[in-house]
Amino acid sequence: MTDQPSGRSADSLTDRVARATPGAVVQRVRGLSDTAIAWLFISPTILLLLAINIFPLIWTVYLSFTNYRANRPGRAIDWVGTRNYERLLGNEDIWGYLQATAHFVVWTMVIQVFIGLSLALLINRNFKGASFWTTVILIPMMLSPAVVGTFWTYLYQPQTGIFSYIINLFVAVGPVDMIGSVDLAPWSIIIVDTWMWTPYIMLLCLAGLRSIPEYLYEAAEIDRANTWQKFWYITLPRIMPFLMLAVLFRGIENFKMFDMVVELTSGGPGSTTEVASINLKREAFEKWRTGYSSAFAVILFVTVFGLGNIYVKALNKVKQ
Amino acid sequence: MAEIVLNAISKSFGSTKAVADLDLTVRNGEFVVLLGPTGAGKTTTLRLIAGLEKPEAGSVAIDGMDVTETPTSARNVAFVFQQYSLYPHYSVFENLAFPLKAPGQNLTAAQIKTRVQEIAELLRIDHKLENSATALSGGEMQRVAIGRALVRNPTVFLMDEPLSSLDAKLREDLRVELKRIQRDLGATIVYVTHDQLEAMTLADRIGVLDEGKLVQIGDPREVYETPASVYVAQRLGSPQINLLAVGMLELPSVPPSATTLGIRPEDILLDRSEGAVAKVINVEHLGVETVILLELAGQHLHALLGDAASLEEGAEIAIGVREGAVLFFDADGKRVDPLKAGVSEEAVYGT
Repeated sequence: MTDQPSGRSADSLTDRVARATPGAVVQRVRGLSDTAIAWLFISPTILLLLAINIFPLIWTVYLSFTNYRANRPGRAIDWVGTRNYERLLGNEDIWGYLQATAHFVVWTMVIQVFIGLSLALLINRNFKGASFWTTVILIPMMLSPAVVGTFWTYLYQPQTGIFSYIINLFVAVGPVDMIGSVDLAPWSIIIVDTWMWTPYIMLLCLAGLRSIPEYLYEAAEIDRANTWQKFWYITLPRIMPFLMLAVLFRGIENFKMFDMVVELTSGGPGSTTEVASINLKREAFEKWRTGYSSAFAVILFVTVFGLGNIYVKALNKVKQ
Repeated sequence: MAEIVLNAISKSFGSTKAVADLDLTVRNGEFVVLLGPTGAGKTTTLRLIAGLEKPEAGSVAIDGMDVTETPTSARNVAFVFQQYSLYPHYSVFENLAFPLKAPGQNLTAAQIKTRVQEIAELLRIDHKLENSATALSGGEMQRVAIGRALVRNPTVFLMDEPLSSLDAKLREDLRVELKRIQRDLGATIVYVTHDQLEAMTLADRIGVLDEGKLVQIGDPREVYETPASVYVAQRLGSPQINLLAVGMLELPSVPPSATTLGIRPEDILLDRSEGAVAKVINVEHLGVETVILLELAGQHLHALLGDAASLEEGAEIAIGVREGAVLFFDADGKRVDPLKAGVSEEAVYGT
């Protein structure tokens, strides 16, 4: 290659590839249209998507209309029409599980947005050591939910845990049983999720804040806006798309929240923290009511999908 | 209205001195244009007056009050930014209404609407009020930016090349409009540009900046006719002033310290019976006037003729200079006044 004139060495790789390609292949590829080549390139991905996403989805929808039980593979599958759905929607417990899920999603989002945005505004002041504190704040997000769940159960120990101890420093209420109490158990998960995922909201808010050009604040300063007006009319509208995106991602994740609940409360006490995904797993893989749980899964899917779409429409409107 | 006094003000960015020890007084109701090339410190000077930059040394006073430590929002100055700085997520109306919603304005929604409508009509953007600020052309954005400054009654207007991205016709209209607004309101305006035509037409006084220093300030004619240095002479006039070494033209008298001659294109006389012989390189007919590019002893000269001269390219003609119109500069580029240099023959100079 080095003894080639420099002008030719620039395209020599293309040349060499062309020369190394067997004639038969060249003929065949040359015969394809651009569209055909495009399909050729994306087909492996499409096949993979069909196999692991689309097909199971369709299969789940089909199973939701049957009385299939996955632990009895030999049994005949009967078409039961909409009976699974009727049973689900008539089951008051299901509404309880959905309520627990909604309670969890709404409160985690409200608290995390508030704290996350506040932290981002603080970090964005670029004080000394800001990048160090950013890293410290991000640590919880990097841990595995299973690990987080396990060590928080220790922190939540009513007799020996540090959580109860700290609460008692402020108000002497005696041992605080976060996980065992019907009133506190939902909040025990909300606190852990907030501890773990607020940094994520903060990070996206920070990205939003950094994207606001300085000149907007200069113009506002000239227009004699006060600090509150600058926040309300410039900062907030500019970071809204980022904030909404963060809530979308975290909202969908929390709607499906499973692992941390299993580690902390396993749905208890009673069924106070039995969020939808926990119940779904119980129906599908403990009671083996595959048809029924498929119907539940479809309902959950449609709910998330519908809410997600409405939300994305709102997001696009904000972004304009 | 207000008087602005900058006293020995300095500002650096890193190792670059943007403004160095600058003194400037803008009188009440005066239109001062700061002229200079990119990097001369024009914008920084404006930002120092507005308080968007903090000076390292010196002080800023508006209306007799030292405002060096006062935040921008308390200075009551309006600023037209070169890059418009509109609020991209709001409509044109909301952009114009924003300054009226500042604390202490206490205007009703109807009053705000009327005021915005007035300004929008003045700047001919009233049909775009409902548009998003980002869905405008460059010229429209610039007009919104000007409107945002005009909509409230500030003590001082600071304008950073406000007409730079407008087309020629609109620029001319707005130039007249700005001058009219300034007279009507009696507004104090500091205006930054690198366009010498804008400077000449708008200014009560022109201040020429060079590397953060104010090299000359005076009314446009004065700066044009008696520039303090070669640098100032080059800033005003189109085509630029011709610079020749002393001795290239025969002149009745030359101050002894002068090394460079400056001759405005309109002061070059063509078709003389005697004098230095120059070659015509190019002739540009601009309608009312004609620009002629000449070559004299290997150096290019521009001449500006009021009438449509019928000169042919390649012709050789004798040239001269209008009497008393030559500017003399010394080796440092400073102008040498022939009167002060004691050359009596040049007594007609400056009449």
